[in-house]
Amino acid sequence: MDKEAKLAEIREKLKVLLVDQLSLEDITPDEIEDDAELFGEGLGLDSLDAVEIVVMLQRNFGMEVKDMEKSREVFRTIATLADYVYEKTEEA
Amino acid sequence: MPDAERKTETKKRGNRLGIWFFKTTMRLAGLRGAYALLYPVCFWYACFDRAAVRSALPYVSRRFPELGSVGRWWTAFKLFVSQGKNLIDRHALVAGAVSFDTEIIGYDQVATLDGGFILLTSHVGNWQTVMHSLERLDKTVHLLMRPEANPALRKAVQVDAEESRVKIISPDQELGGVLPVMQALEQGDIVSIMGDRTYGADGVGIRFLGDKARFPYSAFHIAASARCPVVVLLSSKTGTNSYSVDMAEVIRPKLARGSDRKMQLRGWVQQYADILGNYLLAHPLQYFIFHDIWADGE
Repeated sequence: MDKEAKLAEIREKLKVLLVDQLSLEDITPDEIEDDAELFGEGLGLDSLDAVEIVVMLQRNFGMEVKDMEKSREVFRTIATLADYVYEKTEEA
Repeated sequence: MPDAERKTETKKRGNRLGIWFFKTTMRLAGLRGAYALLYPVCFWYACFDRAAVRSALPYVSRRFPELGSVGRWWTAFKLFVSQGKNLIDRHALVAGAVSFDTEIIGYDQVATLDGGFILLTSHVGNWQTVMHSLERLDKTVHLLMRPEANPALRKAVQVDAEESRVKIISPDQELGGVLPVMQALEQGDIVSIMGDRTYGADGVGIRFLGDKARFPYSAFHIAASARCPVVVLLSSKTGTNSYSVDMAEVIRPKLARGSDRKMQLRGWVQQYADILGNYLLAHPLQYFIFHDIWADGE
């Protein structure tokens, strides 16, 4: 599988997890844009939702918090999150 | 110099002078001597500083609903004296002028906790002083608070010292400081969060001392997500040189999927509010919440 296909797969998985873990009721995974801002004006998530995302990355992708802390900008959109997960998965 | 600026400077000078006066008295006459000075000073505040008395009344009127206006005023005065003693103790501790005997209830239980945990603090007792007793746990303590919010606390627990095991995590940073909080818990540290005032954070309405108040729920949400316990920290001054620290109550929140998260969190926040309320039945003059947290609940 090439990089783009893997990234697309990760993005889809992240959207499903996001809707499920955060119990988002007004939006489906398909409706989440890759480049929509997760916090603030985009999806309107808050800092407590960020806790859930951190845990979601830990449990589903084996990410470590200390790595995430060095790359806080990855929490901006689904696309940046997917890039980060891909990069870390490849490193491993 | 503008009036406002001049007033600020005068107020600050007065504060420095006051602190110097108390410190000097403490050096010359010990803790009891400094305490004795408190009575006329607090009486002055009780008589002439209406804002100070007003800020104490929301708590006093709910904890002592049977009191009339004179009784509430007198209790506010006693609360000022009690807080003054705590502040003097804090200065004495920082200066190394005194050491306090501290009884820790529930220490063994907390010492055996595996990994990091949330320490849920309240405006009860002198938790700044209590931080020193946590050294026995041999864990780094991260205070989730705005660094500029309490300079006195930073000095009291020597946050800025390189070797200090007390650190500050600011909620104003990206994602509300979630990443450093989660990392601290992951590495087995303690994260201290204030539980009885929202300071603008999200909260839930609960019953506290017979009335509806609003307490924050972030401590329980973080704990449920990180699968770590919440240790409720309560403290009180029990004598001139002694404190009691109570860490016997440990709450283990676990969010059930499919149910309303906020409703579930409310249950644990209410449990904490009940623990705090019961503690205040035994230690009514150790609660220094000079803010109407019940108005926040409306």
